[in-house]
Amino acid sequence: MRHPRQRTIHSVLLACCATAALTAQSVEELSERLAGLTAVSGYESEVTDALLEILPEAERDRAGNVVLVLGTGAPKRMIACPIDEWGYIVGAITDEGYLRLRRVGNGAPVLFDQSHEGHRVSVQGREGQIPGVVSIPSTHLMRGRTLPDRPFHVDDAFVDLGASSRDEVRDLGVDLLDAVAIEKLPHRYGESLLAAPFAGERGACAALAYALQQRPAVSGTVVAAFVVESRLADRGLAAVALLQGPFTATRLLGYPEASEDFSAELFGPTDRRELSAMYADLAIETIDLDEVRALAGETVAWMEGR
Amino acid sequence: MSGGRMPGSARAARPKWRLPRVAAAGGAACLLLLGPAALDAQVDAARIEAVATLLDELVSTYGVSGDESRVRAVVERHLPEWAAPEVDETGNLWVRVGAGAPLVVFVAHLDEVGFQVTDVLADGTLVTRTRGGFFPWLWEATPALVHTEGGPVPGVFMPRDDDVDPPSRRPSGPLRVDVGTRTREATEALGVRTGDFVTNPKKLVRLAGTRATGRSFDDRAGTAAQVLALQALDRDRLQHEVAFVWSVSEETGLTGARAAARALGAETVRVHAVDTFVSSAAPVDLANFAAAPIGEGPVLRGVDNSSVTPRDAIDTLMALAARHDIPLQLGATNGSTDGTPFRDYGAVHVPVGWPLRYSHSPIELIDLVDVVRLADLVRFMAEEW
Repeated sequence: MRHPRQRTIHSVLLACCATAALTAQSVEELSERLAGLTAVSGYESEVTDALLEILPEAERDRAGNVVLVLGTGAPKRMIACPIDEWGYIVGAITDEGYLRLRRVGNGAPVLFDQSHEGHRVSVQGREGQIPGVVSIPSTHLMRGRTLPDRPFHVDDAFVDLGASSRDEVRDLGVDLLDAVAIEKLPHRYGESLLAAPFAGERGACAALAYALQQRPAVSGTVVAAFVVESRLADRGLAAVALLQGPFTATRLLGYPEASEDFSAELFGPTDRRELSAMYADLAIETIDLDEVRALAGETVAWMEGR
Repeated sequence: MSGGRMPGSARAARPKWRLPRVAAAGGAACLLLLGPAALDAQVDAARIEAVATLLDELVSTYGVSGDESRVRAVVERHLPEWAAPEVDETGNLWVRVGAGAPLVVFVAHLDEVGFQVTDVLADGTLVTRTRGGFFPWLWEATPALVHTEGGPVPGVFMPRDDDVDPPSRRPSGPLRVDVGTRTREATEALGVRTGDFVTNPKKLVRLAGTRATGRSFDDRAGTAAQVLALQALDRDRLQHEVAFVWSVSEETGLTGARAAARALGAETVRVHAVDTFVSSAAPVDLANFAAAPIGEGPVLRGVDNSSVTPRDAIDTLMALAARHDIPLQLGATNGSTDGTPFRDYGAVHVPVGWPLRYSHSPIELIDLVDVVRLADLVRFMAEEW
């Protein structure tokens, strides 16, 4: 049996090596990596696990957020980005082995469901991501008939994993309440564009992660948080504020324009930085990676009080 | 918490379908689980893997109708050494084997549905037209590849720019493609030209058991079945000449098959299209016909929109399959195949295929065992019938 101290040293060495290797990732690579992961609200472990690899000094708090505290003393400020996405859970499994869905997360666009019809999805099963597809009528068999003009709705969805029975679905490690999301295939085009679902928010989180990797000389204390459940009434952000606050100031990256101000008592004055997004809220939400790099630089400056 | 509210309503404030170029403030898993039920004595795991490998290569190769040369090259690479392939003026690939009358023709098609650039606009975006029949909205707001002379140029199929309320399933007008430029000159500098073909990226993805999803299984699976049949063919057992044809432009009017039929039709006694059997054994299709389940064997496509197979030919093929313990399903489905032009010359048409769900979509779904068995069936048909 290995001595506990040996294990610690080994872990430290591994962490150092991993950090060194991961630090070498550019902000563009970090953006693409995070945009390729899935994090349905309440089911964010794939992204939080990745962030804990990217930032080994960070910790997962009680709410599931990934938090890294830099510096000490006043002023105590927070900077946060959301990591979660709209998606679905398995609501039912039919006798024939198809999954029916229930939506997770508030405020999805009306045509969000339709972007899944006829496309691949992944199911976050007990043994990892399981690929499947959302059924679509065969073109040939629709001849002489028409599909309804209303957009595809989650209640129309059957997810086909290739299984033939409920038991076969469960043998794949898939069961009720598992998260289901569109497959993530980040797509680079143009000179510096990245298209992916939720690219704006993942790009903002990549900027924050990259900024933290630069080990900024912070002014006072900076609590950096990669926040879960933003689409469930911002539960993750609330937890950061209640567990780590109050803050003298807060900067939110990748959050949309809010119609309400946050509690000044907890958050202090709040400002936002958001990446420009073309085709926002679609599977090809597009960001400019040059802008991510600029946001990372601006974030370092903010953390250093410049 | 008092003195204020936590941010809870921000999401609801988002637009329902945000339009392009909204500037904001400040700026595969692969799984293979081979269950015992999926395999039998005839179809072992190695053969399934062989089919998956070939099909993966074919599916990963792009070939919209009129642009099949890359797919044709893959087929040529996998032909047995003895084969002497020919390419006709239309672009069809032929392999003729055996000697003597009657001539029997097998035909699978190389092409796939997709888009073609019809105009490059002043803002650098591309206007497209569809090639083949499908639901174009499935491509809306998805990644795109423009296949130029210099190679693929990535872009995206743009979302609709109409914002009707209530929203419609179908966008109005043709889909456009954004390649990340803002002027016609910049797009043309990428090598993009009117007439280029456009697809989205595609690959084969393994699903549960022996099932797989991908785009263009129609008719890459038939193409693969013919290749595998030819690889296994015992030429000494042939009783007459057999022509294997891989045709072009099936999806846009059977153009390649018409040319093949003009060349061979008068001497062809029987033709076998080796093409998709569109199955209604799926959760969102009406199963009043075409209900051949996937995974239960290839299908004799007895009736479709342009062909009815004579009963005696059906009986002969069912008996041949039974002799080789190949579970052959019988059914009727919609669509036409490359056998149709040969019917004009009086050839008997006995099309065979494999059951497929979600035809002409990005997620066509098949059982690889069906393709293995189809390849066996094609081989035995060539050798014995």
